[in-house]
Amino acid sequence: MRAPATPILTKSAPEPPAPRAERPVAIPTWARPAPGTTTGRGQLVLSGISKSFGGTSARALRDVSITCAPGEFVVVVGPSGCGKSTLLNVAAGMITPDSGTVTLDGQTADGPGPDRAMVFQDHGLFPWLTAAQNIEFGLKMAGVPRSEREGRVEDALRLVHLVPKRDKLIHELSGGMKQRVSIARALVMNPAVLLMDEPFAALDAQTRTLLHEQLQELWCQTHKTILFVTHSVGEAVRLADRIIVLHAHPGRIRREVQVSLPHPRNFDSSDINQLVKLVRKEIEDEVNRVNAEMAETYWKPQSPADLGADSGLMGDGI
Amino acid sequence: MLILASWETAYRVIGWKLWVFPAPSHVVDSLLEMVGVHTAFGEPLHTGWPRPLPEDRAANAARPQVEPWYGTPLVKAISYSGVRLVAGFAISVALGGTIGLLMWRFDAVDKMLGPLFLGLQTLPSVCWVPLAVLCFGINEKGILFVLIMGSFSAISLVLRDGLRTIPPLYPRAGLMLGARGWKLYWYVLLPASLPALAGSLRTGFSFAWRSLMGAELIFMVEKWRGLGYLLQMGREFSDIARVVAVMIVMVVIGMLADRWVFAIVQRRVQERFGLGT
Ligand SMILES: Nc1ncnc2c1ncn2[C@@H]1O[C@H](COP(=O)(O)OP(=O)(O)O)[C@@H](O)[C@H]1O
Ligand SMILES: [Mg+2]
Repeated sequence: MRAPATPILTKSAPEPPAPRAERPVAIPTWARPAPGTTTGRGQLVLSGISKSFGGTSARALRDVSITCAPGEFVVVVGPSGCGKSTLLNVAAGMITPDSGTVTLDGQTADGPGPDRAMVFQDHGLFPWLTAAQNIEFGLKMAGVPRSEREGRVEDALRLVHLVPKRDKLIHELSGGMKQRVSIARALVMNPAVLLMDEPFAALDAQTRTLLHEQLQELWCQTHKTILFVTHSVGEAVRLADRIIVLHAHPGRIRREVQVSLPHPRNFDSSDINQLVKLVRKEIEDEVNRVNAEMAETYWKPQSPADLGADSGLMGDGI
Repeated sequence: MLILASWETAYRVIGWKLWVFPAPSHVVDSLLEMVGVHTAFGEPLHTGWPRPLPEDRAANAARPQVEPWYGTPLVKAISYSGVRLVAGFAISVALGGTIGLLMWRFDAVDKMLGPLFLGLQTLPSVCWVPLAVLCFGINEKGILFVLIMGSFSAISLVLRDGLRTIPPLYPRAGLMLGARGWKLYWYVLLPASLPALAGSLRTGFSFAWRSLMGAELIFMVEKWRGLGYLLQMGREFSDIARVVAVMIVMVVIGMLADRWVFAIVQRRVQERFGLGT
């Protein structure tokens, strides 16, 4: 069952932004939306996506449809194993779905490409290149001339506050820095959409909060369409315009939550906390219900009579 | 060191026979003789047959050195063997590398060649000699053939296994960034396989070196006298000190190349990748 998108909480007056350590960065021209539009390109439509691994019994996704408007920040929340990575890989073109289509700005997108840049959970940076070379990689593949590449890499490093680390090898960077390089590597391609697969799941809480702020700032300035998946409701509420709740076995959409809090958000505000509680409660109810269903079908306690018969038999042989 | 010392002492005290097994001093004499330096550390032990006679040794020791160092048999032998090794190893790497890549890329190739290559690896490389003699005759081609056959299958297998350890995330990231076709191979899979490649070169080298020594031993190509040739000459003249001396040179060269060239390359790569410590 799919409930219609319901605005749970709306607030008109903007919250004063949190005092931030970093000064806001000027967005380079190549990353700005096209002149005359505020949102630019980047309408990503997934329709009717189903995918199973090894037969219909192991269905990872069933009939999932998501439409991301240009410039929208959509977060998909769901427990581990519900098919979030599969969904994102389908959107990126890494996995061909059994059925359903992916379109970007009205064009069918098949196969991976830099228009749908992905930030992987395990960063996926190349260990044989430095931070700057990793960021440069996509531009090099696209045949951008060296002189232009240098400028854009510099801009991208500045966007993620990593200019001093430009010549470091990947294993010399901390987890948070690696993810920032990974984000810069995606952004420098000026993609239509940014796909993010639990990019901050492996980080400590402080680093994660810092990166949430930085990502929010980046998003406010670049107005990229972002499809972000996570298992953390807190992360979803902080970042999302719209939250999509995914359920497991098989993965399918159960609910959509519109988060109408304006950006940039103060992550400590009571509105956020309240909304987190609300969404979490909803998900918990749903998970409990599903678990109860599963228990009914897959696991039944043996009746005392059966147990008695068993123990009687065991005694006989001795 | 202690073993060498007591070995030498045993010789001098008990008086073992030289032609049974040489004392370290004889080996040193022989080794230096091959680079044109005539010494007679083992002198008091030379009694009777076989060559070289004590008088020769003494005369040699007294004679001023005439041969330039680079014209001496040992230096020549090392350079001849070295040239063969480089040429043969290059071909072997190209061939083994290509097949290893195909085995990794296509399951059918792997199914076909994998078990065969495992079998080939267990075959001592000297077993290729008769075939090489019949196909190519006793010449350079035959030696190279033995070297290549003795090493390329090991290179293929090690490379294939190394390629299999490349995290699938790298090619996925490469594809996402627009590296398609040959670009994916050249800019992503090749550098990602460097640790595997370094390991494969190291294994391949030790196979190639052993095969080459074996081949030279048997082929005895007159024009270019390699280390194996020197060893076999030592045998034919029953100069046991020479035999041991050449064997020591072979071991030292193999070890130096492994430790100082391939191990260092491998370590550099691993450091770059942040592997290991
Ligand atoms: N390549 C695959 N082969 C077989 N099963 C897979 C594969 N990838 C994912 N799955 C299965 O599909 C389901 C969804 O996986 P995934 O998308 O990784 O979930 P999530 O990212 O939400 O944790 C899981 O049950 C997982 O076991
Ligand atoms: Mg996942």
